[in-house]
This record gives sequence, structure tokens and C-alpha cells, in this order.
Amino acid sequence: MQILAQLIVSGISVGMVYGVIAFGYQLTFSTSKTLNFGQGEALMLGALVGLTTINFLIGHAIATLPAFLLMLPVVLAFGLLQGAVVEFFGVRQAVKAKSDAGWIMATIALGVVFKNMAENIWGHDALRFPSPLPEAALSFGGVRVQPMEIAIVVGALLLMVAVEVFNRKSIYGKAVVATANDRDAAGLMGIDTRLVIMFSYALSSMTAAFAGVLVAPVTLTGATMGAVLGLKAFAVAIIGGLSSGVGVVVGGLILGVVENLTGFYISTGYKDVPGLLLLLLVLSLKPAGLFGAAAIKKV
Amino acid sequence: MTVTKYILALSAATALSSAAMAADAIKVGLSGPYTGGSSSMGVSMRDGAKLAVDEINKAGGVNGAVIQLVERDDEAKNEVGVQVAQELINKEKVVATLGFINTGVAQAGERFYQEAEIPVLNNVATGSILTRQWPNEKQNFVFRNAANDTIQSAMIADEAITRQGFKKPAILSDSTNYGQLGKDDMMAALKKLNVSPVAIEKFNIGDTDMTAQVLKAKEANADVVLTYAIGPELAQIANAMAKLGWKVPLVGSWTLSMASYIDTAGANGDGAIMPETFIEMPTTPKRKAFIEAYHKAYGGDRMPSPVSAAQGYDSVYLLAAAIRQAKSTDGRKLLAALENLNEKVEGVVTTYDHPFSATDHEAISPNIPVMGLVKNGRVVPAHPEDLQGDKALRVKPKG
Repeated sequence: MQILAQLIVSGISVGMVYGVIAFGYQLTFSTSKTLNFGQGEALMLGALVGLTTINFLIGHAIATLPAFLLMLPVVLAFGLLQGAVVEFFGVRQAVKAKSDAGWIMATIALGVVFKNMAENIWGHDALRFPSPLPEAALSFGGVRVQPMEIAIVVGALLLMVAVEVFNRKSIYGKAVVATANDRDAAGLMGIDTRLVIMFSYALSSMTAAFAGVLVAPVTLTGATMGAVLGLKAFAVAIIGGLSSGVGVVVGGLILGVVENLTGFYISTGYKDVPGLLLLLLVLSLKPAGLFGAAAIKKV
Repeated sequence: MTVTKYILALSAATALSSAAMAADAIKVGLSGPYTGGSSSMGVSMRDGAKLAVDEINKAGGVNGAVIQLVERDDEAKNEVGVQVAQELINKEKVVATLGFINTGVAQAGERFYQEAEIPVLNNVATGSILTRQWPNEKQNFVFRNAANDTIQSAMIADEAITRQGFKKPAILSDSTNYGQLGKDDMMAALKKLNVSPVAIEKFNIGDTDMTAQVLKAKEANADVVLTYAIGPELAQIANAMAKLGWKVPLVGSWTLSMASYIDTAGANGDGAIMPETFIEMPTTPKRKAFIEAYHKAYGGDRMPSPVSAAQGYDSVYLLAAAIRQAKSTDGRKLLAALENLNEKVEGVVTTYDHPFSATDHEAISPNIPVMGLVKNGRVVPAHPEDLQGDKALRVKPKG
């Protein structure tokens, strides 16, 4: 029982990271029906920018926890900017030309560019990210959790709630929702849909960058850290449904927990298999995802 | 004189002078990953090799010619390794190639040298198969001066079971060729000691959560964890063990001495034990001189991968001795010289006295490496007595 709880708890924290990256996919998909396939790289850049910032702050005799909190706005701002860049260079032309595949190639290409840039700036080795919280694990009835794992879950939830509230309550958010519903109609109502799409990309990369600094203290930071996470989050987005914010979170948790359970009870060699099986199953039975609304395409 | 004529004359002159230089230089290929996850090993190997080439050239070169290293980055990718091999053989016309860090890249690239009859001194890659890839061919052009996985896995099993008395090993390895072939070697070594592992787990490169793997080993009541993986994932194992509050010794292949393990696992990584052909300590005069020269040339106070640096350095001296003996750079003559090297080569790892023969292309024998231990971010001898007195210099037994 204790082992089961341990596996589930560890799975939840990993799953939450998948979820928050997938949430970023969902943000841009809802406004423009496009995704940033360089989402993993956005996460990696966020983590590395965070690493440089936090090391700079720690170098100026600031304790790790305040340094981490001070670093967050820098990383979030960087994420916003990076997302806007991706939209401007990778997606805008493709959306304008109503190209079906242009944005796919462009966002993948930008991802490669970002990865190479990061390799040139930060080098090729995995780097250690200072942990803002004590690294010693806490024990809850035998289930051991690192404080940072709790921070991942709380932080990811807070960020997603904040973005959702922003989208629902603020006037900018209303424009986002309007664009998501019907881009042409929103345009006719005087909403600058181009700006809205750019903004959704900015938000999307911001969540990825945030996920990057959340996960970095429990893993390692480096130019290649985004690849696996970005891919898994993509599977999560498909499982949960690209049109549902709740769906991707649930999808993330499912994948994280199932991976761990399979690893322990079946074989660690098959850890990645159930995720892929689940993906195929969802695609064949409920293509819009577990929580996605079925898309009706009028011709 | 018109401008065109002037340019023509100038280019002719430079072409002549560079041709003259090329005639004097012995071109030696250097293939390794200078970028990517294995770069700490590749770069250290390159630095060690360059240091040796500089020393040789300053002392007058070999047979009156200087050695010129042609460095190519194989990025630890098999397909790039193949391109590099073809370029070095066909375009650069190297007389021999040193290097290869990754077993997969070595397997992909070395067959081109075999076909072209150009010797390879494999100075880091450890896959046991590398020196016997072509059992049915008359000649084998691949030599090695690194401790292969058969040697390492036997040492790991011996250290954990015989020397430290553990009885229930768990094996954790990554899903690459390196990890899986190493795991098989380790299973065979354990079988010889009549011990069977209580858990055999694997993981992928880039995995961020090792809870399931470590928990399985813990639940199987393992008393020691044996590893075959590379730095970042090894660090994840150490971190997951710390998280689960489970403290058993970590004994594994030499990659536990990678900077990416030591630096990223931090305090959790202390105590890990691995076989090492060279530990960065001045235990012989040659090692002292090497360590000083290395840091003088490249700065710092700790080599990123001391083993790679030392083996890279030694491989140059082995090749130079063979070229001197062959009085030629012809591939077959070099092969004959390497297989019967009369000159004693004093290297950093050991003193090479007839290191190779027609049937044995491994310069490192099981008695040469010692176990290293990670302590406060550095590798020190796990059993200091192993390197004391006349045991500091360990040489391959004759025959």
C-alpha cells in the first residue's frame, strides 16, 4: 500500500509537469489551431535563463529561496518574449496563408535553432539547478516526497488557474476566448486576432518556461532536457484533449502515474509503453481527447 | 605585373608551401564527441592527445616528420561517425586514427578503417566486442588502450561481492547499447561468483524520474546497486535513492567518474565506486608530469575526465612508437609494428611493454585499473593501498 502511494505521489509530480507543458499546447491551439512543436525547447530555455539568473542572484549574496522567487518574473517575461518570437517568425505567415503544414515545420525548425543556441551559450553538459527548498525528503506515513515535488504541483496548478482566470475575467482574455471561438467573427468585431494569437503564443511559452524552472531543481538543466518532456506532453495533450485545460492536467496526471505503476508492477523496460497505448486507444475511440469537444468541420 | 598575375603567383606560392608542409607532416585522425552529452570525455581525450603530440613535435617529431592531428567531431552519433571515418580515410588520407568514445560510433566507423587497412587506436570506448569485430578476417586493424566492459564488469562484481561482501546486488542500466551490453557482461561476471541479481531494471536517456526503478531495487532488498549508464542518469539514480531515504553503495562502470555525475549528484553522489585506469593523483613521476602539463596547458585544477585524458595521451605515444619502429606510415607495416612493439612506452596509465600481439589487441589487462571512489567532488582511490609503493605502476603481465 505504501509503495503504491509512493508511486502515485511521484507520478503526480511528474504528471503535473507534463500537464503544464501540455496546457501550453492547448493555449495556442485554442486561438489559432496551431501548436508550438518547440514547446520542449521553450521549457529548456526558460530553465537555462532561470539558471543564469538565479546563479547571478546567489552570486550577489541572496539566499536561494528569495533568489528563486526574484528569478521567476525574469523567466516569465523571457517566456512571454520567446513565445512572441516563435509566433512572429514561425506561425504568423503560415496562419495568414492558411497553410496546413508550414507552422509545423517552422516551429520544429525554431526549436532546433533554440536548442543549438542553448548549446552554444550554456554548453553541452547537464547542469545542476540550485534547489530553493530543502532537498531532504519529507515523510508522510512512509511516503517520501521532496518539498520541491510539492512545489511543482502547487506552482503548476496556481499558474494554470491564473491563466484561466485571466482568460475568463479580463477584457484581453475575453478577446482570446472570442478568437478561440471564431477567429473571423472576432476579427469582424474589431478584435486584433493577430495580436491575440501572438499573445497566446507568449502565454504558452511562459507556462513552458515556468514548468522549466519548476522541474529543473529535481532533474538537471541542459540543452536536451526539453526533448523528452515536450514529446510526452504532446501525448498528454492528445490524451486529454487539445481544447480542454482541465483535460490536459488530468491527462498529465494519468500518464505520470501510469508510467510509474507500469515501471514498478510490470517492468521498468516497458515504462513508456502504456502511455503510447493510451494514446492510440484515445485516438481510435475518442479522437478529440478524453475531455475534448468533438470538432465539427463544416465544408 | 597585372593584378591577376600577381594573385596567380601568390596562390601558386602558397599552394607550394602548404604542399611542402603536408609532405613533412604525418596526418593522424582524431575522432570523438567534442559536443553533446559525451563531450567531457571527448574533449579530455582530445586535450590529452594534443598534449602528447605537442611534446613529440617539440622533441623533433617521428622519423623526422611532425605529427598533425586532424580533429573531427563525431557528436556521439553513429551516422556522423561514419561520415568522419570516410572523410579522414578518403579526403584527409590519415595514416591512423585515434579516439572513439562511444561503442556504437566505434562499431559504425571502424569497419571503414578495417577495409582501408588503416590502424585505429581506440582509446576510450569500452564495448568488449570492439577489438574482435571481424573474427574471420586475417588481420584486425583495431587496437584499444582502454579497460573494456568485460574487465570493468568483472571488477565491479568482484568489488561488490568478493571485496565488500554484498550478497544481493540490483542492476540498474540504461537502455542504450552501452547499458545493455554492460548489463549482460555484469550478469556473466556475477554468475561466475554464483550470485544472481535480485532486481534488473532499466531506464531511458533523458528520464527524469527514477522512483519506480529505485523502489523496485529497494523492495527486492538489494544491498548494493550496480550501474551501467552515463552521467546524468546516474545522478538521477543517486538523487532518487536520497529521496527515498535508501542508502546502499553504488558500484558501477567508469562513467560514475564523469563530471556530469559528480557535479550534478552533488553530495548524493559521494561514495560511488568505479574502475579507473587513471586517477588524477601524482602516484608516479610520469603521472605527476602529465597532470602538471595538462593544467598548465588547459587551466583548471580538475580534468573533466582524467581517464579519457590519460588514455588519449598514451594512445599518441603508442602510435608514435609504432611509426618509429615501422619506419613507414603504411597501414600494414604499422599493424605489424603495433602487434610486436619492441620499444617500451612509458605512458600515464601504465608502461607498455609489448602491449599488443597478433591475437590480443587490448593494451589494458584486468590487473591495471583500480577502483576509484567519489569523495567531495573528486575521484580518489577507493582502496589507497592499491596504488601504494610498487603497486602504483601496474603493468600487463607477459604472455
